[in-house]
Amino acid sequence: MADGHLFNNISLGGRGGSNPGQLRFHSGGILWKKQGGGKAVEVDKSDIVGLTWMKVPRTNQLGVRIKDGLFYKFTGFRDQDVASLSTFFQTTCGITPEEKQLSISGKNWGEVDLNGNMLTFLVGSKQAFEVSLADVAQTQLQGKNDVMLEFHVDDTTGANEKDSLMEISFHIPNSNTQFVGDENRP
Amino acid sequence: GNNRTSMRSSSELIAYKSVNDLPPPREMMIQVDQRNEAVLVPIYGIMVPFHVSTVKTVSSQQDTNRNCYVRIIFNVPGTPFTPHDANSVKNQAAIFLKEVSFRSKDPRHISEVVQQIKTLRRNVVARESERAERAT
Repeated sequence: MADGHLFNNISLGGRGGSNPGQLRFHSGGILWKKQGGGKAVEVDKSDIVGLTWMKVPRTNQLGVRIKDGLFYKFTGFRDQDVASLSTFFQTTCGITPEEKQLSISGKNWGEVDLNGNMLTFLVGSKQAFEVSLADVAQTQLQGKNDVMLEFHVDDTTGANEKDSLMEISFHIPNSNTQFVGDENRP
Repeated sequence: GNNRTSMRSSSELIAYKSVNDLPPPREMMIQVDQRNEAVLVPIYGIMVPFHVSTVKTVSSQQDTNRNCYVRIIFNVPGTPFTPHDANSVKNQAAIFLKEVSFRSKDPRHISEVVQQIKTLRRNVVARESERAERAT
């Protein structure tokens, strides 16, 4: 595994905020270990179906989408890491990472995109945020136009964020044509 | 931009121009950025900004377990008129984020945030409606 890249300060983002840890890229795939032990994420390179880079405040985020629909997000890469890792991914996995942009305009209207079990809220084709539908405990239709997503309340995951997302709701006007039938309802 | 023509409507309010203008990541908690008139909320490990003019109301609640909840409701079409409703009319085809609610471990931080959002919102709304009046 001499061909690997090791990064010491990479956070795994998710429902409970983000956890710092160590990430290793090697010829066989990706291995992330939580600082101080505990959780680990291992991805075999043959399971990777997509990679994305996104510039986030002060750093860069790598998105790793795998076969079963899961989408891991690792944050903490410097700008120079992005270029060298992209080359690494191209040679080892044959995948060219896609570039995504973060929406920072502060608008609350846009589009909803469903891909695998990720729900992405896009503003002007840039990503405002993403949530995993796997973490949704319940969805509710409120009135004719509002969809509410309630997230699992889990106190055991060791959430390290001070404020945790509990509910999110979207308003879909009648004039919206993206979700006409309810078969597509998130 | 503050010095455009009177044609400029408040719908053009934007929070940030570049990713690097966002406040440096700190703890994952709701923040208010006074300078950029933005409310930042943590969603899946990222601080997501919303311009304060998109906020309709903010409220908090505490339960018996010392858990504190905060709910932010955004402007969406079909709600009573607000100075920024131009957004809602112009973007009929869009999907709107209507509401987010968070549970917090820190009631004091939540009451601070609620106050800050309310004050900032009031100031921005007052400034924008004054500007709209002058323009007519």
